[in-house]
Amino acid sequence: MSSVLDVVLSSAFLAAVLRVATPYLLAAMGGLVAERAGISNIALEGQMLSAACTGALVAGYSGSVAAGALAGVAVAVLLGLLLAALRLELGADAIIAGIGLNLLASGGTAFAVYTLLDDKGGTSGLRSGTLPAVTLPGIEDIPVVGDVLSGQNTVTWLAFLAAPFVAWLFYRTRFGFHLRAVGEMPDAAASVGIAVRRVQYAGLALSGALAGLAGVFLSMGYVSFFVRDMTAGRGFIALAAVFLGGLRPWGVFLAALGFGAAEALAVQLGTLDVPPQLVSTIPYALTLVALALYAWRRKRRGAAEVAPASL
Amino acid sequence: MTTTLIESEDRREYKATRRRGLVVDLSMTLATILAALVIGFLVMLATGKDPIAAYEALLTGPLERSFRVGRWLEDATTLTLLGLSVAIPFRARQISLGAESQLYAGALAAATVAIFLPLPPVAAVIVPMAAAAAAGAGMGFVPGSMKARLGANEIVATLMLNAIVVRVYDYLVNGPLKEPGSSAVHSEPIQPDSALTPLTEWLGIPFGRANVGFLLMLLTAVALWLLITRTPLGYRIRMTGSNPHFAEYGGIRVPRAIEWSFVIGGAVAGLAGAHLVQGVYGRLEPGLAGSLAFEGIVVALLARNNPLVVVVAGLFYSYLRAGGDIMEQQTDVGTEIVVVIQAVIVLLVTAQALPDLLKRRLARRQAGTSHKRSGTSDKRTGASHGKADAR
Repeated sequence: MSSVLDVVLSSAFLAAVLRVATPYLLAAMGGLVAERAGISNIALEGQMLSAACTGALVAGYSGSVAAGALAGVAVAVLLGLLLAALRLELGADAIIAGIGLNLLASGGTAFAVYTLLDDKGGTSGLRSGTLPAVTLPGIEDIPVVGDVLSGQNTVTWLAFLAAPFVAWLFYRTRFGFHLRAVGEMPDAAASVGIAVRRVQYAGLALSGALAGLAGVFLSMGYVSFFVRDMTAGRGFIALAAVFLGGLRPWGVFLAALGFGAAEALAVQLGTLDVPPQLVSTIPYALTLVALALYAWRRKRRGAAEVAPASL
Repeated sequence: MTTTLIESEDRREYKATRRRGLVVDLSMTLATILAALVIGFLVMLATGKDPIAAYEALLTGPLERSFRVGRWLEDATTLTLLGLSVAIPFRARQISLGAESQLYAGALAAATVAIFLPLPPVAAVIVPMAAAAAAGAGMGFVPGSMKARLGANEIVATLMLNAIVVRVYDYLVNGPLKEPGSSAVHSEPIQPDSALTPLTEWLGIPFGRANVGFLLMLLTAVALWLLITRTPLGYRIRMTGSNPHFAEYGGIRVPRAIEWSFVIGGAVAGLAGAHLVQGVYGRLEPGLAGSLAFEGIVVALLARNNPLVVVVAGLFYSYLRAGGDIMEQQTDVGTEIVVVIQAVIVLLVTAQALPDLLKRRLARRQAGTSHKRSGTSDKRTGASHGKADAR
């Protein structure tokens, strides 16, 4: 037991938590923005995957990491806009369209990698590099904090800034107010002159950008290459964090951080004598329980309250 | 006299409308598939491949040898069962994404019984399947009752259950259930009596691993179709899906109907797991189902959740999968293009307003030509911009 505590309290573990939580934080914020705009973004997974693939490929061929990252995010934004268009223009069910986009991303990325590199597995044959780490002068000298923070990827810093950014956007800006109004009751929002569709398109584009950043981190930060289906369900976990966090920025932040911490813990405990598969089920089991408790509490408070339609 | 005449006339008219609706549905589906294939063709052309050779392998390959036909039927069995398993909750308008957890639970239950429990010949086949159905139903009951009784989001609940069960399965196959003394990661083989009889044994044609499970799958589909269209429970499930408020008002206990739809779907997905264990692999293998669980959703969608059509869609879809493998062996086009084609099909199927949009376009074009000729304009066609009804 003491060895478990040693692991958890080490600065290396805390640094790992920040790294592992990065894609969850970003994708969950993306899911949150879309959810509050009234369109569930099940396609987070596909957006991350497409961004990861595009990022690695563009960076590998152009030699510019920044160009890769930008291209990756751009592709994810396009997928977000496509989802919005399918929902708003063609009357598609957002969930099913999202499943379709995930399939498209899974097949499309694998097809692209195989066509370009003749490799079934991924882009490990391509030298695409990673996004730079942030170095703050003097921070390394601070005892524990320095060890945890130094050498963290730029995207990790952005991930932790994403929650305050979304909170600020939601509650302090005109756009955020409109977005929440549109998600809550589109007819009412339209009646007071909010351009409902434009807000939803913008929301889904932002959602895609955040998920894209998460994807770019996976292939250009976490590791330095793209592997087929490398998102491995992270988009779905992020989506769960959105609901677990009660559709509020800081709640979602905590939920996503919790998932990241649990995964990092599972990896660390794998070195001890605990089956890692069983440890890694803990966050999902907790989510299931929390979901039931949350629903039960809401039900007791009375069904009359207006709840987001998808919950 | 006259009343019966009017009634029979009404009935005839009603039947004619239904038939016309079916024809429209069918032609829409065919058009969707065709459009997806055309897009796949263009993608291959754009990436400098030979689309004709690729499509030849894709579309005729699976029928060229009998064992390829067997591979197709075996895959179709699992896939159709998975499609059926989500079609039932979809009918109650419940987005259940839990087929994966239900399948793995079913596979575990079937394998545990079939490996460790000595049973007389016929029971050795049936008992593991029943155990699988029960385990799958249990896995369906959890998110189903959470949704029905508490109103908890079924998408999140089923996704979480998937994540849990897949990891537990992985642990069991790598640990307690791993064959002792074997270097490969898999369980002990099931007892020979528990295996689903291969079709090869019955027909004398080498059909690979295709087995009686295929016939059982057909029976399951018919049973589910009868359940949905001909029983009170099926009626309740359909009413719940088409309008829960109206169903509630009409005295249907909506939560019960929702719960049942999950349980039935779960049981069918459990059977898919039993088929993989007793019919295909003969043991537990890591990652048994691959991406099949999610592809079951595509099959259900393509069939618009009608159990009998799910069989057709499942056969079609697994034909594409089998063809994709052959295409990859024979040409330089990877099997991934099949996934792209599948994705396009999903997107086209879900884009409900697309047919209307096309019709409006056509109408506008016709209006444009008539405008030139007669000088009258049709204002209606341009005025009906679809409303954004975001839920």
